[in-house]
Amino acid sequence: MAKKSVLGLYTEEDSAADALDNLRDAGFEEGEYELLTGTPYPEGTFGEAEPEHHLFRWPLIGAACGFTGGLIITAGTQMAYPLITGGKPILSIPPMAIIMYEGTMLGAIIFTIIGIIFESRLPRLFMGAYSEKITEGHIGVTVTTEEGRTGVAEEALKKAGAEGDIIRGWE
Amino acid sequence: MATNSAGVEYEAVSEPYVETENSVDNRKDVSDRLLKIHNVTSNRFWQFAALTGLMFALGIIGFILKVASGFDDKDVWGYYVAVFAFLMTTTAAAPMVAIAPRIANAHWRRPISRAAELWTVAGCLNLVLYIPLIWLLPSLENGRRSLWFYGQQASKDQFWTGFESVPAYSPHIWATLAIVSLVVLGLALVWLSCLPDFAVLRDQGTGWRQKWGRRLSLGWIGTTRQWNWQYHRMGIVSAFYFMMLIFVHFFISVEFLMVHVPGWIDSLYPITHAHNALQAGVATMMLTIFCLRQFGGYKDYIGLDQFWGLGKLLLALSLLWFWFWFSSFNLFWYAKKPSELSLLELLISGPYKIMFIAEFLLVFIIPWFSMIWNPVRRSVWGPAVIAVSVLLGTLLDRIRLYVASWDAASRDFVSMLEMEMHEVPEKIVTPAIADIFLIVGFIGGSIFIFMLASRLIPVMNIWEQKEFLLYKAEAQYHRAKVLVLGKPR
Repeated sequence: MAKKSVLGLYTEEDSAADALDNLRDAGFEEGEYELLTGTPYPEGTFGEAEPEHHLFRWPLIGAACGFTGGLIITAGTQMAYPLITGGKPILSIPPMAIIMYEGTMLGAIIFTIIGIIFESRLPRLFMGAYSEKITEGHIGVTVTTEEGRTGVAEEALKKAGAEGDIIRGWE
Repeated sequence: MATNSAGVEYEAVSEPYVETENSVDNRKDVSDRLLKIHNVTSNRFWQFAALTGLMFALGIIGFILKVASGFDDKDVWGYYVAVFAFLMTTTAAAPMVAIAPRIANAHWRRPISRAAELWTVAGCLNLVLYIPLIWLLPSLENGRRSLWFYGQQASKDQFWTGFESVPAYSPHIWATLAIVSLVVLGLALVWLSCLPDFAVLRDQGTGWRQKWGRRLSLGWIGTTRQWNWQYHRMGIVSAFYFMMLIFVHFFISVEFLMVHVPGWIDSLYPITHAHNALQAGVATMMLTIFCLRQFGGYKDYIGLDQFWGLGKLLLALSLLWFWFWFSSFNLFWYAKKPSELSLLELLISGPYKIMFIAEFLLVFIIPWFSMIWNPVRRSVWGPAVIAVSVLLGTLLDRIRLYVASWDAASRDFVSMLEMEMHEVPEKIVTPAIADIFLIVGFIGGSIFIFMLASRLIPVMNIWEQKEFLLYKAEAQYHRAKVLVLGKPR
């Protein structure tokens, strides 16, 4: 079934927080509603759940791959052509550290860029219900749900004191 | 403790702690005022852009002349490499002024962080300048001392028997990867920082700026999740930029400088080079914010707070300059190895003595003796003048070191491992007309690119300014009014 989104705009933080409470009371799940702001409010300002992300995994995986690559290049080269330099062991960390560091960095950077693009879900092709007032300073609460439930959502948004008409859009 | 309908516990507050200025009207006012300044391009801007554009054109002529002269005579390329190193020391390091205070949650950086990040766009010019250096840098076959174990392998009968040693072009490969990574990270950083502001341009802008904002905002709508990602993305990319910046300076100072002077062995110098970049990066930003304040229309946003913050950093970094220089100098001076005395003759007491003294005054003595005085540090003009001094000194430093080093690179020494006193060049390499074009042109070109970028991207971070409303309040403290600043997260 096609999903539709509705958006209520608020001028006060408390009203937006009330709207979230009303939506939860009306049976809407986390993930069905979202807050839209033009400013990064501290997490939990509106009583919303803290969003989860897995961005930290990408640089860690990339760094592990890059480090392994750097280790294989440096250790492999030195084992292939063993040369004792300055009485140090064949596999000495200081000369290997440069390539291993750069390998680690390159792996981490490449994976992070991929991770940012993937995790951010950008570009967002369908913006759903949206208002330019968000970037002006209004706080938006948007609900994306089945078409039959949009009435309930609109009711919950209005009850919290949404300013003006509820904005509708397709997701 | 109270519980909301989602079952999440939170600390209930019966009364707000302080009244902040965060309201719809104020948030809109911030956007409107900053967009108004961004949308206006004054005649003075175009006049200065025309001047720097002309300088850039001269730089391109110098670039063509230099490339056309070929890569065989290394000594004539000294000024070219010096310009490249100078730009990597200034424009590539300026974003650190946004990165470090943001990690420390320092509010004073908010009006200047975007301008610092915008210098990464000029980093593209550094990449263009770097391309001929790949051909210029000799392979490891010339027998110079290097980081790489070239030509020393004893066995070629095991596996990878196709190679006799590490590739002779190892420095070229790894330095290129590092510099490309730095430029890509810089562009990623500025784009990530701008995402919410591109959405503002999309929604509030007009004409081509609105189209530009629509394309680059990629559907940014400001969900809690997007803001959360924004915080983490910028943190990770910023940290990588810092790490890569230090690494790139390590490579530049080793591969394009030290290895060409036989006997220059100094494990401290690469980090000295990186430190110089942090000092010059702060000076670059000091001058940038001075221009934005005086000529860019941002007088209400860039105040003494920003100059104080940067001034303290510049004072500390100027003192560190002496520490780094003296640590290396002292070792050579006491050790008195013949090759080290030759090195001191080349870089300090010989043909480049006057240049060294001037640099010493400009980079250390003048900032030190002027920035210790409160009236100078707590002013707008004082730090800006000192920033000019530091930048001039840094340019002299890069010319002194790189021109001398590439002069040495063009000579045949008895031993490629140490330089004897009689082998030290006696005269400074005189700059050709192409060198003067390059110095003037690419410094002007970087400013030109920054200025053009500032027309496309708001030079002041709109979303960080709006965020500041959440954390700023004026409160009565006994009989005085004080500014209370909160810390996010």
